[in-house]
Amino acid sequence: MDVQFNRVTKRFGDRDALKDLSFSMVSGEMAFLTGHSGAGKSTLLRLLLCLDRPSSGELVVGGRSVNAISNRKIAHYRRDFGVVFQDHQLLFDRSVFNNVALPLEIAGFSQRDIERRVRAALDKVGLLDREKALPESLSGGEQQRVGIARAVVARPKILIADEPTGNLDPQLSAEIMGLFTAFNSVGVTVIVASHDLALISRMSQRILTLKNGQLITRGESQQADAQ
Amino acid sequence: MSSSTGIGLGPRSRISAWLHHHRQAATDSFGKLLGAPISTLMTAVAIGIALALPTILLLAIESVERQLLTIDNPPQLTLLLEPSMTIDEANKLLDQIERKPGISKVELIPRDDALSEFVDATGLTQLMDSLTDNPLPHTLWVYPAANVRQAGIEALAQDLAKSNGVATAVVDSRWLKRLEASLEAGQVTVQAIGVLLALGVIFVLGNTLRLSIEARRDEIVVIKLIGGGDRFARRPFLYSGLWLGALGGLVSCLVVLLIGSSIAPAIEGLFALYDRQPLRLGLSLQLAMLLSAAGAAIGWLSAYVSVSVHLTKIQPR
Repeated sequence: MDVQFNRVTKRFGDRDALKDLSFSMVSGEMAFLTGHSGAGKSTLLRLLLCLDRPSSGELVVGGRSVNAISNRKIAHYRRDFGVVFQDHQLLFDRSVFNNVALPLEIAGFSQRDIERRVRAALDKVGLLDREKALPESLSGGEQQRVGIARAVVARPKILIADEPTGNLDPQLSAEIMGLFTAFNSVGVTVIVASHDLALISRMSQRILTLKNGQLITRGESQQADAQ
Repeated sequence: MSSSTGIGLGPRSRISAWLHHHRQAATDSFGKLLGAPISTLMTAVAIGIALALPTILLLAIESVERQLLTIDNPPQLTLLLEPSMTIDEANKLLDQIERKPGISKVELIPRDDALSEFVDATGLTQLMDSLTDNPLPHTLWVYPAANVRQAGIEALAQDLAKSNGVATAVVDSRWLKRLEASLEAGQVTVQAIGVLLALGVIFVLGNTLRLSIEARRDEIVVIKLIGGGDRFARRPFLYSGLWLGALGGLVSCLVVLLIGSSIAPAIEGLFALYDRQPLRLGLSLQLAMLLSAAGAAIGWLSAYVSVSVHLTKIQPR
């Protein structure tokens, strides 16, 4: 799915979190979003997930104006996304398997399909043997990988990650970034917010740099920006 | 949406997915209730008592009403005849009245019988001696047919009072009228109490469910973040309410059984004094089902109110 920000501004009180922001990504592209904290990374992702609405400008995802999505349709809109959170957002009262299965339950998959897909997703992140474990018993890196498995299990069209390596050591961080690149290689649009410049500069992917709510580098897009 | 065939790449049809959600929400929320047996039981008992109280009162009132219906046509109309009426004329009048519709039987109490009965009953033999003349008139006791209710009896009395030879028509069933009226008032009162108790249950249960919504705030946020709508997030709570209410209904059945069997003997004793059939405060299958259904409905309703108020406030931040 392609993503377009057309002169998007998000204002909180008298502060512009995002200022007249324009960029686009084609379907299947991967980009890192970077910048100091408070530069607007989270705001951008929140607008993309429709957790907030732009103050002005237009956001188009998959050819569809996000501004026009009614509140009742937001939940459905979010099903096209897989989201990885910095703090994992796992549910601690249920097993790894059931955490990963949640998006499939919401989307209404059969139990058989759920089992197969959850195992496939856990296999991809190397946690197949931990499906019965409770998230508490896992390390930070493992919890993050459960979060990633949950984000990809329903085969989203766009994968979003907000500081997914925030609390991990460099080696684990590199592994996790490797997972995102792997998902991108099968055609998923991937946006990863990260302030780990050393890591992302090694990944040779497009980098969007935000400063004070404006893009100061927009990297090379494969096509979209050339239009 | 495509249905899952063979390789199962897509979600199932809307309806089967919806049914699956429901089944899952129902079993999950039941499991959660069983996981906290004490608080579940306490809530269920509170609901049960609130349902049982008005039920028992209504049952008692209904039972008394049923007794009233079985009262076998008491002499509900007394016709005092003109003093000038002879016994033959009185008998003729009796025949006339008996042929009217709405009358089951008419009985003549001759004035002499009435006087001696009066004397026997009161022991005032001297009074009898001192009287030269019997001051009592002949009397007709009119038994209306069983299907004639209070209003009909009043009309009948007015009608009969106009008959030749009738001095006065006395409706001596005012006690019945009063009892019926008080029972009706009692019934309305109990119904009002029942509505109040149900409202109380709705708010108490709503608050209990609010706490469980708060306790599962993280879950709701995550569900909303990954594409679950309000309906999906709401469903388990509606089922919790439904189950708690239904459990409360079952508890109320137990309470009704228990109270019914413990107070019934005392009330039966009272009724026996009036030569009445024993009181029935039993729990029929129908009533048990009604109570459970009422509990479930109240539970669902309070969950709906509570969830509507609180769930929309929980949004991903």
